[in-house]
Amino acid sequence: MSGEGAVPGSELRIVRVAHVDAAKPLRHALAAFMEALGIERELREDIIIAVGEALANAVEHAYDPDRPGTVELHARSAHDGTLLVDVYDRGVFVPREQGTPGRGLGLRIVRAIAREVEIDVDRGTCIRMAFDARGGGQSFAM
Amino acid sequence: MNEQSSYRVIRLHGELDLARRDEIAAALQVHGPGAALLVDLSDVQYADSTIIAELLRFRGEAASAGRRFALLLSAHDRRLRRVLDYAALGDAFALFDDRGAALTYLSAPA
Repeated sequence: MSGEGAVPGSELRIVRVAHVDAAKPLRHALAAFMEALGIERELREDIIIAVGEALANAVEHAYDPDRPGTVELHARSAHDGTLLVDVYDRGVFVPREQGTPGRGLGLRIVRAIAREVEIDVDRGTCIRMAFDARGGGQSFAM
Repeated sequence: MNEQSSYRVIRLHGELDLARRDEIAAALQVHGPGAALLVDLSDVQYADSTIIAELLRFRGEAASAGRRFALLLSAHDRRLRRVLDYAALGDAFALFDDRGAALTYLSAPA
């Protein structure tokens, strides 16, 4: 893991329509951001796995399919080498396909990877994740 | 998808997420009793929990039909194995990173 020359405050913020096709480019943008920060490959992959679950949750459950809203991805590096990632939607949880095997797996995966997970529900859902990571400092605007 | 006399291979590629769930669900069909089933994920770079859920469903349907079922993962890319471990499902599937070993498992008596 690269920690030398780390400049905290690097930030990535993207807002997209919460369509099922939105998750993949958001994952790729976060992967590029983390690579630029110098976060090692396996850790990047694990963070993508966790954040991908949060994105999938927002895309699948936040909105009625006939009334899609937005999903926001916000990542920033903190002073102590922590990578903070928020996935935020402004919808209301819409359950689907009750009884399907594997329901609840996503949050289990997030909790297994992230050092800290907070879920705030207030005019939408914000899944806040903190990961142990270190990297350099670059600014991103997308 | 390839048909063989003693086993059937379902091969999936790329990044498997919610956007591809219907496609994956259509591919992962057991269709009753028959040959053993190998789901080849060796060329899959990403799979989220919606896909794991489909694999769990498929596992259950294969078991109900009395068909052996194994997953083939990449020997070089450990991401899918880690996802299953994070989901506490590392022991839920017969996992292989060697095709020959997977086929030996599938051809063994139940």
